[in-house]
Amino acid sequence: MSLKLLQLYPAELGINGDGGNTLVLAKRAEWYGLRAERLAHEVGAELPADVDVVLVGTGPVSAQRAVHADLLRIAGALRDLAAAGVPFLAVSGGMQLLGGSVRLPDGEQLEGAGVLPVTTVLGDKRIVGDIIVESQLGTLVGYENHSDTLELTGGVPLGTVKHGRGNDDTGTAEGVRSGHLFGTHLQGPVLAQNPVLADRILELALRRVGDDLPESIDDALSVNDERAARARRVIREKHRV
Amino acid sequence: MPVLPAVLLGRAVRLAARVRGGGASAMPGYLALRVEPRFLEKTISRIPLGVVAVSGSNGKSTTTNMLTAIFREHGLKVFTNPSGANLPQGIASAVLSEVSLNGALDADIAILEIDEAYGVKLSGLLKPRTVLLLNIQIDQLNRFYEPDRVAGMLHTIASSASEAVVLNRDDDYLAALGRELYGGTDASISWFGARPELIAAAPHGIASATRFSAGERSAPPEASVTVTALDGPRADLAIGDDTASVTLPSRGLHYAIDAAAAAETARVVLGDRFRPELVTRALASMKTVYGRGELLKTGDGDDVEIIMMKNPASMQMNLDSLEETPEQVFLAIDEGTPDPSWIYDTDFSVLDHADVVSGSKGWQLAVRLGYSDIPVGTVEPDLRKAVQRFLALPRTKSGRKTMIVNYEQMMLIRRLLGYSDLEGRDGE
Ligand SMILES: [Zn+2]
Repeated sequence: MSLKLLQLYPAELGINGDGGNTLVLAKRAEWYGLRAERLAHEVGAELPADVDVVLVGTGPVSAQRAVHADLLRIAGALRDLAAAGVPFLAVSGGMQLLGGSVRLPDGEQLEGAGVLPVTTVLGDKRIVGDIIVESQLGTLVGYENHSDTLELTGGVPLGTVKHGRGNDDTGTAEGVRSGHLFGTHLQGPVLAQNPVLADRILELALRRVGDDLPESIDDALSVNDERAARARRVIREKHRV
Repeated sequence: MPVLPAVLLGRAVRLAARVRGGGASAMPGYLALRVEPRFLEKTISRIPLGVVAVSGSNGKSTTTNMLTAIFREHGLKVFTNPSGANLPQGIASAVLSEVSLNGALDADIAILEIDEAYGVKLSGLLKPRTVLLLNIQIDQLNRFYEPDRVAGMLHTIASSASEAVVLNRDDDYLAALGRELYGGTDASISWFGARPELIAAAPHGIASATRFSAGERSAPPEASVTVTALDGPRADLAIGDDTASVTLPSRGLHYAIDAAAAAETARVVLGDRFRPELVTRALASMKTVYGRGELLKTGDGDDVEIIMMKNPASMQMNLDSLEETPEQVFLAIDEGTPDPSWIYDTDFSVLDHADVVSGSKGWQLAVRLGYSDIPVGTVEPDLRKAVQRFLALPRTKSGRKTMIVNYEQMMLIRRLLGYSDLEGRDGE
């Protein structure tokens, strides 16, 4: 089979290397001896029905507004994909829009796609810096750059904040996980820095169609994972976490 | 309050720093501004032809240098800030090195590169007659968050121009900014640009930020100066009925557009005194740009070519302008780039390998290259060791080794190679 990796709105919600998450999944699939295709959904296009992973990155409020109408148009189809067990990874702005609602700084309320169990309030204070999170998958490391307060209406946090801020000013919880649906503020991109999360998403996509994640067939995988481990260690040591 | 105490204090600090053997810094300017908050107003705004402020995401230093050269070629005395010294204290330090004790600067015109964020404050202090805005690109997201915010800052800077605003017609945001300004300012608005075919032929276009809040897109405005041809480091600029053939400081469409920006600004400021052939002569005499295509000598080893990694747009254009796959490659990035996520937006396919990768974020760079199947020789986070290792590689056929680094790593590398520190900070 060929894994179909669908990135939503790469032009608008892909402002900060977000395409890297899709690249990482595609490349790792190849290193596992699998085939993968990178697909994109753009405003106005038909959403492909048959996909294995849905990814969405982040973008400024102007970009969120630019895709909003289209997102509501495809929201039902996205919820169907989620209900069918397709794993999702949504980062910052994309996570906000896939939630129930987003309140903008001017008070306007945007309806979300209703895929992730979160609601968002955007503030004026920008949260910028390294973020380190303890999760069930291990320690995740990234960079946060957002101004939201995220409230979970279901699911569980992706992890506990060890350094940085995460979902709200208490600085305790980061992101959201609801079964096979993941939302996070971690950039870097998150899957490049944290291959364990990338593999978890690949695994969920494969299990859905009755397959398992095979052994890797390319040493490049372990070489790159060692590099990512060193990259994470540098950031953890910097913050003594 | 007279300006003398500020000048004396600033001069003394400057002298003390020199005597101690340290490089020049922004400290004297900082202190002068502490003693006299209106120091810049009281010195620079007395210059007869006033201030030309140059801002935008990319190309500020290059364009400021070009503009300075063009005005000098027209016989004017120019006061300017050194490359990248674009914050108030940096500009004040530059003033201190040239000002007389009574606060007078011996110049006909001031051409100042200003930081986007500080420009809002600076334009209030400096009251520029002319504002030149180059572009709005995805840049320093950790600092600016989003292009709309930068557009707002540049709008404020443009609104402060009393006589002329000069804008890039091919930049989405600036085209919109110009339309917004019409009617809201007494200043004239004019445009520079490049022929659409040239932009289409560039591997990644002009890399300006997309304006998502765009309503209906209107036709691009008519440019008074247009890049009409580009061949390596040579470009033709159509200026009214004239054509000026110019030599650029380095290859690349972005440098040609910077040249068009400088020519249009000079034309607007000088009016009847403007002579296109002096643009040609001025640009021919310019040196290569600090940190772009600059060749550092390493004794009897290869020359080192430095390519700056500042933001996605400039990085891509600098990579695109490489004539061929570099033989030996060094990459380094450190905390000066707080969030290097954008390296996943960069097309590194011009590289077929990297010999040495360094900096505190070197491992992140190595991961990035790995996901594009670009082999990495050594990752050595310690810059000194990494540079030693790289320079110890055999001589190249081209006589040139290539380093792709962020600003902070470049400054350290220059020092390691025995180059003295330059004043200020090159923002590109
Ligand atoms: Zn810290």
